[in-house]
Amino acid sequence: MESGSKIALSLLGRGIARTRSTLRALRGRIEERLFGAAAEDPAAAPDSGFLPDFCQGWTVFSVAVVAEILAIIIVLVSPQIPFAESRLGNLFLVSLFIQWIALTSAAALCGARRFLNRLSKLRAVALAYLMLLCVTWLVGEAALWALWLAGSIGSPQPEWNAYFHVQNLTVAALINAMALRYFIGRHQLRQRTLSEARAKVQALRSRIRPHFLFNTMNTIAALTRSAPAQAETAIENMADLVRIMLTDDENLVPVGNEIAIARKYLAIESLRLDNRLAVDWDVGKFPRKAVLPVLTLQPLLEHAIQCGVEPAPEGGRITVRLWEADERIHIEVTHPLPRPRRGARTPVPEADETALDNLRQRLETHYGTAAVLETNDEAGRLKVAVTLPTRGEEP
Amino acid sequence: MRVLIVDDEKLARERLRELLTEIGGHTIVGEAMNGNEAVERTTELNPDVLLMDIRMPGMDGLEAAMHLMGLENPPSVIFTTAYDQHALNAFEVNAVDYLLKPIRKDRLAAALDKAHKLTLKQLKQINEAQDSPNARTHISVHLRGNIRLVPIQDVIYFMADSKYVTVRTPAEEHLIEDSLVNLEKEFGEKMFLRIHRNALVATGFIKGIEKSPAGTWQVSLKNTDKKLDVSRRHAASVRRWARG
Repeated sequence: MESGSKIALSLLGRGIARTRSTLRALRGRIEERLFGAAAEDPAAAPDSGFLPDFCQGWTVFSVAVVAEILAIIIVLVSPQIPFAESRLGNLFLVSLFIQWIALTSAAALCGARRFLNRLSKLRAVALAYLMLLCVTWLVGEAALWALWLAGSIGSPQPEWNAYFHVQNLTVAALINAMALRYFIGRHQLRQRTLSEARAKVQALRSRIRPHFLFNTMNTIAALTRSAPAQAETAIENMADLVRIMLTDDENLVPVGNEIAIARKYLAIESLRLDNRLAVDWDVGKFPRKAVLPVLTLQPLLEHAIQCGVEPAPEGGRITVRLWEADERIHIEVTHPLPRPRRGARTPVPEADETALDNLRQRLETHYGTAAVLETNDEAGRLKVAVTLPTRGEEP
Repeated sequence: MRVLIVDDEKLARERLRELLTEIGGHTIVGEAMNGNEAVERTTELNPDVLLMDIRMPGMDGLEAAMHLMGLENPPSVIFTTAYDQHALNAFEVNAVDYLLKPIRKDRLAAALDKAHKLTLKQLKQINEAQDSPNARTHISVHLRGNIRLVPIQDVIYFMADSKYVTVRTPAEEHLIEDSLVNLEKEFGEKMFLRIHRNALVATGFIKGIEKSPAGTWQVSLKNTDKKLDVSRRHAASVRRWARG
């Protein structure tokens, strides 16, 4: 007898466990359908919540407009309300009621937004949905009491009480479902745009030019015989540079780090270009918190070498100035403009404006309009000037 | 074999020199740092083979090779390059020797063993395969086994004869074997203006356009007193150019 009940219990337990796992799988599948593959990590981006900010004036206004449209539709398709005098009075009452529900719902979402956005998406959607239905029921109940107090109806619980609530909740259930579906769709679209923007920035990153890479390897091969110590340094510098170029992160780094990597790059290039490359540095004082996007200075130098030094048989001198003033970082790189030869072959095909354009776009995604990249042609030299906010605030 | 090393990077030249010494059996007759120097040294030193980088400041390797092809007995050319996607495809197609940097000893030895002469046709096809087919920076004039390089910006006009084209510079006149049609195609309308069936004039050297006593149009030029006739067929386009 006892063993029988044990078996029954264990069977029941196993059944429950199986149901649980089935439910979990089902939930996973629903989440996947609703939110796409990204549903699993709500912590991926801090502001990844799908609900818009209902505390904002513009959002509240949109809610009011949608509610009013709904009110007009309801008045147009439904018969006269017994205690309203005219169609206009009818619209007034319906609008009042629907606006009341809509604005209270907005207020509820405004209050609960932070909490909801912390939950997993499926839970957040379910909770928001239930909350909105509760709001509808409460406002319906409150409306009946108000009507009773105003003397329009005989009792706060008229005989059409139940019908009234069922009608309200059905309409609210449909409209809220539509609204939530819309917010989820909009959220997905925004996430996709965001990841596309991220991919674009990565594509704009300074990449290793094959010509630079293989020429450097050839240089190192030559050095391993004649100057092994120099070859070792060159390999170390190249490793550091390539590592930074291969990382996808668009981090803000201290100015000192960026200068260090730029110097490593120049050390490699001066091995190749020998005495054709000369660089003058002028680095001012920087507050410790001064940061800039990684690989901001190096592409400027690369551009200067490609356009100002490589094409000239006699080489050229690059000047680099960095300083901080009025909470802004100033970078100035100038290089000679080799006399354009008529009919000359384009010295280095990829060394046109694209390098600077890429940097300009990257700075724009970081700082919006707060970063400036300008080029200036003065007396046979090209000056590229970049200024950015010292503390690297986002737009 | 007598080898001339051409590369703008000192360490790249050094490496070739070391590899050649290790392979043995070859003499390094000299080094050059760009295309101009390569052409000069070749006529001076008469090497059998050039190991030449493609991308160099000033005149690049392809153009230098093109000028060399006009020699009676041109040297073989083996190109070296770090990376030139389009050019490399063209090298493969046209069976032109090339070495990829970093250069390997065995590849270098093999290339020197089978080094063969290029043709102008091969080089032109390679040039066209590049991203933007480039105009030459110099015109080469061949004189008794020598090459004179005339910078294209020194040319005042090209004048076609029955068989040759005369190249006029402020100081001299040279004869080259080419056609005005080819020259016009290569250097384009920005630098040169066709004023006659037989004349192509550098726009930078045009002083003015005037009417001759005979009633025809003439172009007067800087650095020379000679005036060139504008044919009736080209008069309209010349006046259009003059108006800017």
